[in-house]
Amino acid sequence: MTRRYRRHPDLRLTALEGEGVVLHLGTRRYFSVNESGLAILEALESPRTVAELVSALRDRYEVTAEQAAGSVRAFLDRCAGSAVVQTEEVP
Amino acid sequence: MPSALTVTCEAPRLRAVIDAWLAEGRLEPRSPIALEVRVAEPTAWSGDARSAFRQPGVVVRTSTAGGVRIWWETAPAAAELAPGATTALVTLSPAAADRIEECLRTFLLTVVIFLLRRTGWHHIHAAVAVDPRDRGWLIAGNAHAGKSTTAALLASCGWQVGTDDVAFLAGDAGQVTAIAYRAPIALRPSGHRLLQQDGGVLLPKRSKVGYWPEDLGGRWVPRVEPEVILFTSVAEDDHGERPTRAQPLGQREALTELIRWSAWVILEPEFAQQHLELLAALARQARSFRVTLGRDLFACPERLAELVS
Repeated sequence: MTRRYRRHPDLRLTALEGEGVVLHLGTRRYFSVNESGLAILEALESPRTVAELVSALRDRYEVTAEQAAGSVRAFLDRCAGSAVVQTEEVP
Repeated sequence: MPSALTVTCEAPRLRAVIDAWLAEGRLEPRSPIALEVRVAEPTAWSGDARSAFRQPGVVVRTSTAGGVRIWWETAPAAAELAPGATTALVTLSPAAADRIEECLRTFLLTVVIFLLRRTGWHHIHAAVAVDPRDRGWLIAGNAHAGKSTTAALLASCGWQVGTDDVAFLAGDAGQVTAIAYRAPIALRPSGHRLLQQDGGVLLPKRSKVGYWPEDLGGRWVPRVEPEVILFTSVAEDDHGERPTRAQPLGQREALTELIRWSAWVILEPEFAQQHLELLAALARQARSFRVTLGRDLFACPERLAELVS
């Protein structure tokens, strides 16, 4: 089984000064994310694996695979249990 | 030119009152919207109420299927806006019709706000003005943040003032414009005392005194392109004795403040992204400040412009 991630459909986001402001229509909360967080949330408009997210970050920034993987893991860890990112298991 | 904001109602006197109120507001949306009003006891909503948003006396419910229902608690009244509809079906109880002035100011204004959202105009709780150098200002904040008193003071200094409380943001050729809902600048007794102006119209049900900008020596302005945004408050610790002070805000801070004062952005998924983008564009377009108002402004109103120069 492969785990894929997708941003919650209630999220709306916009970029400002290189970072992101995110609205959650379901919880009625809003918050800021840093540049890489915004890039990850943008990539998560459609379901992605961790490897695909790492690749999306590397396409956008000049970072090593380890650095990109660290950013993705840290972001997904922070989102765990929140209503920001949803997960699905696919065969 | 026919108005883009129309009302139908079988009760001619009620229709005339609502028509007059709409005409006074001077709102001309870019596509037609309508209020279809009848007098009857509204029925409780049995729809899919995903969430409810409350403001004094008014409850807004959105459904997962789209659309909005707005309920007036003061005297029963309900409005339904079906998904995609530009006509609101409004049911006023006889008790609500008897309190029509209050109903207009709270309940029906909220209905119009949601109708206008369907034309790309997004409500913000703010005053708007144009200074003598032709710079547009938007002053946002809560009901006790000094917006009305500041708007009245600026009008008395010859500024053009659009509104002290209700504005609509619209994107127009790459610029964000704030469109004013014309209504008297409504001062509480404390603001009225500070302003020391004669005249005005008593608004007894609101315990306020109303002034048109023209009453104060200013002019009414229908549209403003904000270059300066103030998020105001009145210091509670020093009762306004300390001088007025301003702190510049970054664009992200400004956007999170704008979200706060344009709170319908969190309702109706189909409009939320457009509304959020408009707020972000406004945060980019204008310089923003958090301002704590002091009584020194009454002696030296030009200090406000100096603080942001």
